[in-house]
Amino acid sequence: MSSIITSPSHAAFERTTSRWGSITLFIGFLIATSVPFYLLFVADANIDVGQILKGFLAVFAVYGVFYIVEPLTYFPILGPAGMYQAFMIGNVANKLLPSAIVAQDTIGAKPGTRKGEYAATMAICGAAIIHVASMVIFVGILGTWLVALIPEPITLVAKLYILPAILGGVTVQLIASLKQLKSTLIALGMAALVILVLVRLLPVLAPGDVAIVVFLTILITWFTRSKSVTDKKAGGDGTETVGIN
Amino acid sequence: MNLATESADYIGLANAPILWILAMAVMGVVVVQSLIYMTAVKKNAESAGMSQTEVRSAFRAGGVAAIGPSLSVVLVAIALLPLFGTPPVVVRVGLIGSAATEVASASLAAGTMGANLGDETFTRGVFIVALMAMSLSGAGWMISTLILTPIFKRSSHKLEKVNPALMSIIPGAALLAAFAALTFRELPKSPTHVIAVIVSAVVMSICLLLAKMLKLNWLKEWGLGFSLLIGLVAAYFAHYAGLGLPEA
Repeated sequence: MSSIITSPSHAAFERTTSRWGSITLFIGFLIATSVPFYLLFVADANIDVGQILKGFLAVFAVYGVFYIVEPLTYFPILGPAGMYQAFMIGNVANKLLPSAIVAQDTIGAKPGTRKGEYAATMAICGAAIIHVASMVIFVGILGTWLVALIPEPITLVAKLYILPAILGGVTVQLIASLKQLKSTLIALGMAALVILVLVRLLPVLAPGDVAIVVFLTILITWFTRSKSVTDKKAGGDGTETVGIN
Repeated sequence: MNLATESADYIGLANAPILWILAMAVMGVVVVQSLIYMTAVKKNAESAGMSQTEVRSAFRAGGVAAIGPSLSVVLVAIALLPLFGTPPVVVRVGLIGSAATEVASASLAAGTMGANLGDETFTRGVFIVALMAMSLSGAGWMISTLILTPIFKRSSHKLEKVNPALMSIIPGAALLAAFAALTFRELPKSPTHVIAVIVSAVVMSICLLLAKMLKLNWLKEWGLGFSLLIGLVAAYFAHYAGLGLPEA
């Protein structure tokens, strides 16, 4: 209201985040990629392009699919603004999305609403600041000192079990925050079916397992929705558009 | 995982001042991006019926929730320092990718030169090839995000026009599905993984229940930290009781 230059609008938010999100991501990409090139030029280590290509192809063979699959999987959750944050910072499933879920739960905003999107953006910013601070202080500055201090068995456990120890809690908080019983059951059922059965039978599908679960859950949730609840335009009575049921 | 011999000859190179500058610049870019985004939310929050108090709460909740995961990532990143040097670790783990992805990538790339991470075969040349492969792979994610996001944006706007209800259903369902799938993916790995998931889930349930009954909103923010910590402690005992993965 007090702003004279531009009035608050979602269009302005999308414009700013798309433009600056992609510019900052591109700069991040340039700087990060220059690191090995710098070493290549000063190291005089007798490496040829063929060796680099071979090394990269070995990595690409395993992760190449994810360059496409991960953006595809996370776009419906993050929205365009969040994409530029998430794929700059990484650690999407173990740090950024959990933060977004916690923030939405804390202020009672639902994903898929504008308020939910703004809450997620602020949460990811908060997570990004903590992320940078922890990397700079504990890895950059204190790292070489800490490495001698922390016993190997603890590091090993942290490495092996971070992800399950985060996911159990986050999934519970997500379910509690969304309060969508039907989607929850569909998601859990599809996950069990795809991960524990389908991928075992057809291991080729393994890299796309999460994407398949996401796709099937959206599909089934959509076709079994109760239209009277969800298909009203601009949700008349409620202050927020509740996802489904 | 085993760590490099102390005096790997490339470590001095990997800690070169220019690389420190690049590493700090990368972290700087993340901060700048966050500041731009925060300003954009603050300016436009009203249009979504969001108060400035809620904007600040969301920021704080996100930051608090990230403390536990950040510290565990730090723990893993530190273990990589003797192998890659500090600036490369900050750039690789601090940007797109996670400690696990980077280690796997480095080991794959080293394999093409008949070398292993952490032993005497991991020479200066192998180190550079491995770092190059990790960096190019990280670049793959970034470039494809830059290309795909505008395309996805256009198609989602189109979908929204076809049926507005779609966009109110998809994000919630996608989020539930993604986390259900990620969680189930951990279960077959070992009994300790199952224990970590269950303990973390139970601790979170208790936190959320207490938060609701006693009206302790801060517990919703700190719940993830508690679940992670107690889940890891349980995993520690389970792992060393012989229920874990054989050390890879």
